[in-house]
Amino acid sequence: MSATTTVSTLKIPTPAVMAGPSRLTARPAGLPAPWEGQPAKAAASQAAHHEADRAERRDRAQAAADLDTPKLLAARHLAVTTCPYLAVALHAIAVVPTYAVPTMGVDRHWRCYVNPAFVRAHPVRELAGVWLHEVSHLVRDHHTRARRLTEASARHEAAGRPGSAPLDPDNPRREQVRLNIAMDLEINDDLFESLRGPDKPRTLHRRSKTDDADDANDTTPRLPEGALTPSRLRIANCDLFEQYLHHVTPTMVADHWTDCGSGAHDGPVPWEDDAAGAHPLGPHEAAAIRISVRDAIAAGRGTAPSGWQRWAEHYGKAPQDWRTLLGAAFRTSLGAAGGAGDYTYRRPNRRTASLGGRLVLPGLHRPLPQVAVVIDTSGSVSDMDLGSALTEVAAITRALGVTGRNVAVYTCDAAVQTAQNVCRAEELTLVGGGGTDLREGIRAAMTRQPRPDVTVVLTDGGTPWPEEQSGCRVVAGIFASHRSLTRFGSDGTFIDCRPPEWIETVYLE
Amino acid sequence: MARSPEQVAAQAAERPTVPAVPQPATAASQLQAADRLIALTRAAGSESRADPAVQALALAVAANLPVLLWGQPGIGKSSTLVQLARGLALPLETVIASVHDPSDFAGLPIIGADPASQGVAMAPPDWAVRLHRAGSGLLFLDEISSAPPAVQAALLRVVLERQVGSLRLPASVRIVAAANPAGSAADGWQLAPPLANRFVHLAWVHDPDVVVRGLGGVWPHVPLPQLDPAKLERSVARARAAICAFLTVRPDYTHRMPATAAARAGAWPSPRTWEMAMRLLAFGYAAGAGTGAGANTEAADHTTTEAVALAVRGAVGDGAGLEFLAFLERQDLPDPETVLADPDHADLPERGDLVHATLAAVVDAVARTTTRERWESAWTLIARLAATVPVDLLAAPAMQLATLREPAWDLPAQLDGLTALEALLAWSE
Repeated sequence: MSATTTVSTLKIPTPAVMAGPSRLTARPAGLPAPWEGQPAKAAASQAAHHEADRAERRDRAQAAADLDTPKLLAARHLAVTTCPYLAVALHAIAVVPTYAVPTMGVDRHWRCYVNPAFVRAHPVRELAGVWLHEVSHLVRDHHTRARRLTEASARHEAAGRPGSAPLDPDNPRREQVRLNIAMDLEINDDLFESLRGPDKPRTLHRRSKTDDADDANDTTPRLPEGALTPSRLRIANCDLFEQYLHHVTPTMVADHWTDCGSGAHDGPVPWEDDAAGAHPLGPHEAAAIRISVRDAIAAGRGTAPSGWQRWAEHYGKAPQDWRTLLGAAFRTSLGAAGGAGDYTYRRPNRRTASLGGRLVLPGLHRPLPQVAVVIDTSGSVSDMDLGSALTEVAAITRALGVTGRNVAVYTCDAAVQTAQNVCRAEELTLVGGGGTDLREGIRAAMTRQPRPDVTVVLTDGGTPWPEEQSGCRVVAGIFASHRSLTRFGSDGTFIDCRPPEWIETVYLE
Repeated sequence: MARSPEQVAAQAAERPTVPAVPQPATAASQLQAADRLIALTRAAGSESRADPAVQALALAVAANLPVLLWGQPGIGKSSTLVQLARGLALPLETVIASVHDPSDFAGLPIIGADPASQGVAMAPPDWAVRLHRAGSGLLFLDEISSAPPAVQAALLRVVLERQVGSLRLPASVRIVAAANPAGSAADGWQLAPPLANRFVHLAWVHDPDVVVRGLGGVWPHVPLPQLDPAKLERSVARARAAICAFLTVRPDYTHRMPATAAARAGAWPSPRTWEMAMRLLAFGYAAGAGTGAGANTEAADHTTTEAVALAVRGAVGDGAGLEFLAFLERQDLPDPETVLADPDHADLPERGDLVHATLAAVVDAVARTTTRERWESAWTLIARLAATVPVDLLAAPAMQLATLREPAWDLPAQLDGLTALEALLAWSE
């Protein structure tokens, strides 16, 4: 049964008139299942499946009949007029009425599930606030970020890296709610700022009647009672949900259960359709919409709050795991320096014999590269950070067969403390803790015999760099952001602690 | 399309009808029984499945562009290739790049009778000769990220010019390569930027649903795109126009080498990759993708559009690819004058934001040249849309249109169909 016939056979006046059948009712036409045609054994489970399906369709039809569509759409209209930069995204969302969802929720295919009772119970301006909240989940691509974080956590556990992962892979249901809370905080801190405005302070406690009377002229959207905000949870304001996540404790999960759907936390949700449901939005369409939103914010249409402006500046520059970046820079240097090797006649090619001895080909000689690692132990870098960066470098060198005396590690603060030949990070002793001048360490590495092909420098960045180019490739891993390395001193001089261009630099934030 | 494992298992259990095995008495017959058992576990059917990643692979292979599949070890890249070769009825040659010498791809020098006058032939390996003899085929270069840099350098000419030693592979030989992401295989080398820039990069992830179906006995088969012979010229012209228009507006995307080594080993925009993107787009249009502004929003079209998007992103990289696709989406909106000329039948997009953008453009056009006919035509359009799209999309354009009314004009008859709009505005008060 198609969505359209559902509507017409039940003689429901509202959806057909108010919103039309195309994007407002959800269940797709009955897709022929691949196993149809062999009814013998699958029949029983198929019947159960169909029963559940029918119940769901009944729920959807009932909900479509009960939904106060004009009110819900008036709320969206209000949201669009308040935040014009989100107009494209808000308009792209398809509405699915269902009683299965507690309030409102979005899925990763940009469908918004709405409970008609929730629409009845809340004023238009609060519904507009919820619209803005839900669309923020989608525009900020929370489900992709959640998946990335989950995968990174699983890798973290599997690799046995030092420190604890941001998410506990063994506890997916709890982590899903934790994620959702952190995401709600990321959205709501901004939303309050932009909706209330600085001149209209509003108490977070229950409003009295007089407050409501004051609010009567105020038609800006607002969030419903009980929305999660950083101040309510006594958490300092942060920028991203990844940062909020550190503050969201498991106890909060019990107190503030919240579920904005798979469009937020990327987990399974019982009331959602899969990708085969009606009107899904593909990932590339979603990306195109995000680009429109970004352009609208940049063009200054509407006064976007600072959180959205920061988002627009950073959109498209997805944060990458620094391990990947450091590993890539290091591998490239190794490949270019020692790995490529050279052809030499000192060792004839192993194919020479098969050529009948008439032709002597040079053999490919690939010496193992010499690697030097210079570590900043000046005290400002935490052992945890150093340890995890060093583990990464050690894993790569070991995998490429570079071990033992081919790797030299120098720990250095203002002077070189130790020089060690190691092949395991655990064997290393870190000595130091004074001021920082890594030039000493780099010089010591360069003067070693045999000369290193690649030097890796791990530091927090507060160090001067060598003036002239050294004879080998240098990769620097810096525990700081790109911007924090340049500043103006107290006497107005420009201080630039960034490494020179010939050093391949990775910022390990 | 989710199916429970029991259903899958039940389906698989019915298929094989095998005669009874004779009583195992000797070691030889036991081995025979074991082999039969293995053969049974391997028997699998295939079904078509709307998977954009698979379709993107088929599209790029049909367009004869080298494809690079990035994926963790063991997720079935090779078995997908076997399926693909079977579907295309092409011989498959698998070469594990990491165990080969540079000379296996650059050719082995063979001295003839008179090297000074005839030169030294660079003999190609047997797989290249087989492909050359067959005239077509699928060359699968596995594990190229584990190949040392010297071998990667030798692969450059194979991938781009199909030159293996002295032998040139036929133009119809398709090349697909596979690599493990550097993060998952610690012993990998970073892909050299010149090699990376010659591929359409596709991320290959396993879908648990596909694996369940596959172990139940049904793997997805890789369908070739259905090209419409009537649309070929138009598709090429449209693809050319789209890419030229985008690069005129954003010339900074013509060539942009990424800053980090990790990104340089992936897809990034360069004149070569834009040419690849153009070909992919033309194939996509010919296969019916992005007929967009029309009423046909079949699920198959949707998947094809997604597949083209994936392939284009795989050619020019995510940054440039997404900007391009967003640009394309806005450029493909129907022309407001065409819509005004025939508001009852003009093709309109389906997605809310695109409807809104089209409508805004139409109202703008009316505002620029206001005549009564155009004004009423716009109302007809709004009344038509009121039956099919959420009504809040119409609120702002309708109000703007209302302000354009000259005092002498009657209220449009179409206002009767807009009770929903009034209900909405009543809530907004």
